[in-house]
Amino acid sequence: MNMARLYKINSINLVTKLLGIILFMIAFSVDARGVYQTDKDFLSEAFNNEIPKSKVVWNKGQIRENISSILGHDYASLRIRYWQDSSQSSWILEEVGKEKPITFGVTIANGKVEYVKVLTYRESRGEEIRYPAFTGQFQQAEINDNRLNRQIDGISGATMSVRAMTAVVTLALYLTETTVIE
Amino acid sequence: MNRKIRTLHRTIGAIIAIFVLMFAITGIFLNHTSDFELDKRYLTWNWLLEHYGVAHVEADVVYLLGQRAISQFGPQVFIDSTPVVNSQSLILGGVIIDDLMVLATQNELILFSHEGEFIEKMSESAGIPPLIRNIGLFHGEPVLQTRNGMWRSDFMLDQWEAISLQGIGWSQPQAMPDNVELELAEYFHGKGISIERFILDLHNGRILGNIGVWFVDIIGGLLILISLTGLWMWVRGIA
Repeated sequence: MNMARLYKINSINLVTKLLGIILFMIAFSVDARGVYQTDKDFLSEAFNNEIPKSKVVWNKGQIRENISSILGHDYASLRIRYWQDSSQSSWILEEVGKEKPITFGVTIANGKVEYVKVLTYRESRGEEIRYPAFTGQFQQAEINDNRLNRQIDGISGATMSVRAMTAVVTLALYLTETTVIE
Repeated sequence: MNRKIRTLHRTIGAIIAIFVLMFAITGIFLNHTSDFELDKRYLTWNWLLEHYGVAHVEADVVYLLGQRAISQFGPQVFIDSTPVVNSQSLILGGVIIDDLMVLATQNELILFSHEGEFIEKMSESAGIPPLIRNIGLFHGEPVLQTRNGMWRSDFMLDQWEAISLQGIGWSQPQAMPDNVELELAEYFHGKGISIERFILDLHNGRILGNIGVWFVDIIGGLLILISLTGLWMWVRGIA
């Protein structure tokens, strides 16, 4: 009798704990939206608090065609701003994940990706792409014929966000090439 | 008793005759909406659009820059009746600088060409002073009023110097031009009221709102009553 009661109490405790864990997970996973780093903080970090004057690439002519080819659609703005010093350039770019634009910060050095960050995430799911465990895949990536030279492993449930990040990194590498040509 | 029934029958008949006619005619039309393409033809009478509440649109804010009307509806920014960009922050003002239209929100400048092409959003990282309150012009140069003072730049907009000036032409919200409001009303509400919807609302009384629905219910009740009184008289052989 006592054993049965003890078993029942333990079962109730287990269920309560499981419910608690599930509620905790839901509370911290329902809304992925947020500003994870401001543009200014991203640039301060990239350039050790000495942010160079910004420059722009005009999204026109052949550049526009290539950008459309990389993204699969036109980039929204006519002017794309970037920051560059003697060793690297940083780009703050937006691309729609599933429904809403995600703001990415990409830093390029010597034609290779130094790092990529999610600055603002507006989708309700899929923010796992912001973790270094995922973004690390892009480190030292390059482009050949405007295609990334490596395969990026996806994340279940974040397919569109992964696609957006891959497209933006490719775009940043391409845009950096155009600035070198300039 | 028979006389009373006959009087009731005739009185109800006189009251509902016009409505029975209307139900019959609108009903016939509704049976043939596809044949007459009533769902593809629109009524644009002003009084009707006003009645349905689709004659006007109410923008959060409107600025006139040159010949263009800049308006904001929630996050959507329009140039005339074309949606051009989304902004989560309210537009606080706008000016024309050379070949640019420049809109100011709390922490960004949004740039457009005169043709309405979106050029870019410039924020603090591009050198824009944050916490903007308004934008204006001083001898053709852009001036920002921010929570931290007044700033002036040139057409490049990427370098701002702190200043203190008088006589700045600050941007002011304005009324929506009628022609743009008409176009926006069409953008938000469609081409007008379809004839099918108008006839259906006549038929079920919704043209007069909830009161109209109750009124049609009463007419329906009277129709039941006239049918019953008619049957009564027929059974009793009353002429």
